[in-house]
Amino acid sequence: MMEGFEHVPRVDARIRVLRWALGIALGILATGLWYVQIVSGERYASRARQQTYRTVRVPAVRGRILDRHGVVLADNRPSFQLVLYVEELRPLYDEVYSRLRRGRRLDAAGREVLRRQARYWVASNVVQELSRVIEMPLSLDERTFHRHHNQWPYRPLPLLEDAPREAVARFLEQAAFVPGVDLEVLPLRRYPHGSLAAHALGYLTRDDQARDPDEEAFNYSLPTYQGAVGVERGFDEALRGRPGLKSIVVNSLCYREAETVWRSATPGDHVYLTLDARLQAAVVRAFEPLGPYARGAAVVLDVENGDILAMASLPAFDPNEFMGPISAERWESWMNNPLFRPMFNRATQGAYPPGSIFKIVTALAAYDSGVLHPGNLDAELDNPGYYQLGRRRIDDTAPPGRYDFQRAFRRSSNTYFIHYGLEAGLEAIVRMGRRFFLGERTGLPTWQETKGYFPTVEDARRRWGRGNLANVCIGQEITMTPLQAAVLTAAIANGGRVVRPRLVERVEPAETNLGRRTRWFPSETRGELGVDREFLRVIREAMLSDTEDPEGTAYRAFHQRDGTPRLKRFRVGGKTGTAQVERRGRVVDHITWFVSFGPAEQPRYAVVVMVESGASGGGTCAPVACRIYQAIEQLEADATPPTLAMSR
Amino acid sequence: MNRPELQPVVRLREPRVHWPLLIGVLGLMVMGGLFIASAVLARPGADQLPFHRTGWFRQIIWYALGLGVGTVAVWKDYRVLARWATVLYGLSLLLLVAVLIPGIGSTQGWGARRWIDLGPFQFQPSELAKLTFILAMADFLSRPKPELQRPAIFWRGLAMALVPFLLVLKEPDLGSSLVFLPVALVMMFVAGVPTRYLTRWVGAVAAVGLILVVDVLWLPAEWQPIKLEPYQKRRLMVYFGRPVIPRDATEQERIAALRAYRDAAYSVNQALISVGSGGLWGKGWRQGTQNALGYLPRGVAHNDFIFSVIAEESGFVGSMIVLALYATVLFSGLHIAAGARDLLGRLLATGIVAFLFVHVFINIGMHLRLVPVTGIPLPLLSYGGTSVLVTLLAAGLLHNVYTHRRTD
Repeated sequence: MMEGFEHVPRVDARIRVLRWALGIALGILATGLWYVQIVSGERYASRARQQTYRTVRVPAVRGRILDRHGVVLADNRPSFQLVLYVEELRPLYDEVYSRLRRGRRLDAAGREVLRRQARYWVASNVVQELSRVIEMPLSLDERTFHRHHNQWPYRPLPLLEDAPREAVARFLEQAAFVPGVDLEVLPLRRYPHGSLAAHALGYLTRDDQARDPDEEAFNYSLPTYQGAVGVERGFDEALRGRPGLKSIVVNSLCYREAETVWRSATPGDHVYLTLDARLQAAVVRAFEPLGPYARGAAVVLDVENGDILAMASLPAFDPNEFMGPISAERWESWMNNPLFRPMFNRATQGAYPPGSIFKIVTALAAYDSGVLHPGNLDAELDNPGYYQLGRRRIDDTAPPGRYDFQRAFRRSSNTYFIHYGLEAGLEAIVRMGRRFFLGERTGLPTWQETKGYFPTVEDARRRWGRGNLANVCIGQEITMTPLQAAVLTAAIANGGRVVRPRLVERVEPAETNLGRRTRWFPSETRGELGVDREFLRVIREAMLSDTEDPEGTAYRAFHQRDGTPRLKRFRVGGKTGTAQVERRGRVVDHITWFVSFGPAEQPRYAVVVMVESGASGGGTCAPVACRIYQAIEQLEADATPPTLAMSR
Repeated sequence: MNRPELQPVVRLREPRVHWPLLIGVLGLMVMGGLFIASAVLARPGADQLPFHRTGWFRQIIWYALGLGVGTVAVWKDYRVLARWATVLYGLSLLLLVAVLIPGIGSTQGWGARRWIDLGPFQFQPSELAKLTFILAMADFLSRPKPELQRPAIFWRGLAMALVPFLLVLKEPDLGSSLVFLPVALVMMFVAGVPTRYLTRWVGAVAAVGLILVVDVLWLPAEWQPIKLEPYQKRRLMVYFGRPVIPRDATEQERIAALRAYRDAAYSVNQALISVGSGGLWGKGWRQGTQNALGYLPRGVAHNDFIFSVIAEESGFVGSMIVLALYATVLFSGLHIAAGARDLLGRLLATGIVAFLFVHVFINIGMHLRLVPVTGIPLPLLSYGGTSVLVTLLAAGLLHNVYTHRRTD
C-alpha cells in the first residue's frame, strides 16, 4: 500500500467547508434548543405540569340549618369510609407478578395480562382480609378494580362507605394486617329530628361533578352533596361554603407521589329559619289522631311579620334516607307513591280548591264594590236551601232559612254568598283575589312552590261565565296553596296587610373572623287590601262566631261536649271549608280546610289546616287547628326561654 | 513497497497536550457522570442498591477505563496503527457477522441482536466497527490525488462503508448503521474524491430515503418494495406526525394501529416536554419531574435520552454548555485535521469528527424532533460502556494525530 503524502497544505479548502458545515449544523441545534426551551418553554412546562398534577376538589363542611331559637335541624356527622389506595400495593403487585412469571416465557402482551392478574389477585386478597377483620362481607369487582387502577390509581377506591362503628373499631384494632387500606372521615349530612320540617329543609343529592362557575378546573371531587329542594337547595350556595383544592403529583403510572393543599375549604354558612321546632313538632302531633296515612298540611304564620312558625306536610319523608342508597322498591312503594307522595310539600306545592274559605274574599269583594254595606249586613236573605242559577240549582249545605251576613258566614251559606258575589261581579271578585296575590308565588326560597290557579281579570273575563263565577264565589274552580290561605287569613287578622311569608331569618357565617357579615332577611309587606278596616273587624267577628256560636261550623271542634272551650286563653276566629274535587263531572274527593287566627283580641297567629279526603272542614281540620292552638298556648305559657332539649 | 524511515520529531517547544480537546472531553464526562446519576437515582429502589452497582458508578468506571485506553491510543504513532487497519476492519466485520448468530449475539431482552455477552459486561460490536472502519477508510483513502480521481477507488470506498452498514442494519440497528455513510462521505470529501461522485451519491441516498418515506407513509403494505421493521415504520410515522392506518382496516385494527402509534410517539413527546419544560435555567439537578416521575421511559432516560434529563434539569444554559463542549471537541478535531502531518492523519481526524458529530446531531436532533428517533447514544453523556470506550478511544486517536503532527 502507498503511504500518503508527507506534506499537506495547512489550510485545506475542504476542511474549511467542513468547518462551516459543522458551525451551521451546531447552529441549527442551538436554534432548535432555543426555540424549544425558550420560545416554547412555557408551553412545554405547562404540559409537564398538566401531566403530573391532578387537582382534587375538597368539599367544605356544609353549614347547619337551625330554627329561630337555635335548635339544630340539619348538621353534619362524621362518616367513615374504608378506602383502598391501589398504588400502595405496588410492591405486592411486583412480588406476585415475579412469582407468577418465574419459569415462563412471555411476550409483552402476555406479561401485561399477567401483571393485571397479579394486581387483581393482590387487591382482592386485601379486600378479603379486610372483610375478615371487620367481619363484614366485602367484595371487589374485577372490572371496577381494573378500571380504577387504569384511570385513577392516584385516587382512593372506596370499599365501604359510611362504615358502621363496629366495623371501624375492628379495623382500627387490626389495621396493620391490611395493607393499602385506610380510613377516611367525611362529613355527612344529618337531620337530627328525622322527618320534622323535612319539606322545608329539603334533602341532598350526591353530585360529584358539582362545580361553581368561577372554580378552577379539577380532575376529581371528593363526594359532594347538593341541595335538591327546600332550604338546602334555595341556600345551597351559602350552605356549601367554598370547596378547597389540593393537588396530587402523580408519576407516569399515575401513582401518587406527593400532595399539596392549595386552598383549604371554607365551611358553609349557617341558615337560621323562622320555624319554631317545638311548634313544628306540635303541629305534626296535632295530626296524629287522623292516623298515620293522613294527607294534609298545616301552616302557622305570624300575622304581623309573615314569619312561618311552622309548616308541615303529611305524610313526610326522612331526608336522612337520601344520604344512603334508597332501594328501588322503597322508592316505588313509598317515596314515589302517587297517592301519598311524601316528597310533595302540600303546604306550598299543593294547589287545592279553597271551598268555603274563599267566601272571605267574596265578602270583601261584595263590600268593596258596595253591594254589601253597613246598612244591609243585618238584612236577612231568604235561603230556600239552594241557589237557582238559570236552569242550574246549586245546593246549599246550610239549612233553608233566613240569613244575615254573620249567620250566613258561620253557617257557610252558599246561597248568600253566591247572591252577593254575583251582584258584586266578576271583576270585583277577581280583583280582590289578586290583592291577596292569589295565583302568584309567595316567593319562598325552597324551589317547591306552585302559583295555584287564580286568573287575571282579563283571563277571567274571557273564560268565566255567570255559572263559573257562582262556583268561584264559593271557592270552586280556583286553587290555592295552604300557605297562600295562611297569608290571606293573616291579612284579615292584621287589618289588611298582605305579608310575604318569611322562612329564612338570617344566614350567619360559620366563623365570624372571615370578615363576612350576617345576612338578614327582613320581613316584607307585599300589599294592602285597601278595604274598610271596620268591615275586616266584621269578618273577624263572623269568624269568631264560627268557633264560638253553637251554630258555627267549628264550634264542636273548639268546645267540649258540655260547652266549655278547649282553649283556656285563646279566642280563635276561623272559617271552615270543604271543597269538592270533581273529575268528569263527578265528585271524587273532598279537600277540607280550616283557616283561623288567634288570639281574637290581638291576633298574632294565623293557623291554616288542610286535609285531603277529609270529612269536613269543621269535623276534620278544625280539631287539628284547635290542638295547634293548645300547643301555642302551652309554648307561650312556658316562660322559660327555649332550651336545646330538642337538639339531640 | 519501500517505506520511508520514520522521522524523529522535535517537539520541545510544541505543546504536548491539545488542551481544548482534553477540556472538552473531560467536561463532557463530568456532565455525563452528574446526569446519569440524576437519571438512575430517580428510579424507585435506587437507594437500596449498593453504590457500586448503580449506573453512575459503573459509568465512572467506564470513563476511567476509557481514559486509560485513550491514553494508550495516544502513545503509538497513528501511522503504525494504520498498518493494522485492514486487519482490525476485517476482525470487526467478523464480529458483526458473529453477533447475528443467535448463540453468540445477545438481545439483552430487546428486539435486536446487538450485543455480545462477555459475562460481567456486554459488548456492542457495531460501536467498535465504527472506529475500525474509520481507521481502515483513512488508510484506504490516503493515496496520491490522481488515484483518488478514479471511479474504482470511489466504488471500493463505498463498498467498505456499505458492508458494515448492511451488517449493522441486519441486527437491526438502523441508527448505528446510518453512521457509516456520512462518515465515509466526509472522509472521501476531505481526501479529495471528485465532488461529482459524492453529490451523485448523496442524491442516491436522498432518493432512497424519499422512497422509504413514501413507502411507509402512503403505499399499501403489499406494494412496499422496502420492508422495514414495524418499529422503524412507526418511528418514521411519529417523525412525520402521521399515523398510517390501512384503508380497509377494521375498527379493532384501527385502534391497535393508533395505540401503537401513540406508544411510539410517547417517548418522543415526553423527551420534547422534558427539554422544553427546562426553560432557561432548568429545574435543578435531580429536580426534573419528567425523569423522576418516570414520564421519560426509565429504560432510555439514562442512555439514548440522557439529553432530556440534562436539558430538563439544567435548562437552555445547560444544553448550551453541552453544545459548547461538543463544539470544542469537534472544532479541535478539525483543527487537528488541518494540522495533521499527512493525509492519513487528516482523514483519521475528520473521520472521527464526522463520527462524533453524527452521533451528536442525530441524538440531540431527535430530542427536538429534527430527526426521527434512532437508538443512537450521545457520546460520553449516554450511559453505556462500549460507547464510552469507543468514544474515548476515538478521542485518543484524534489526539494521536495531534501528538504526531507536523512540527515544521
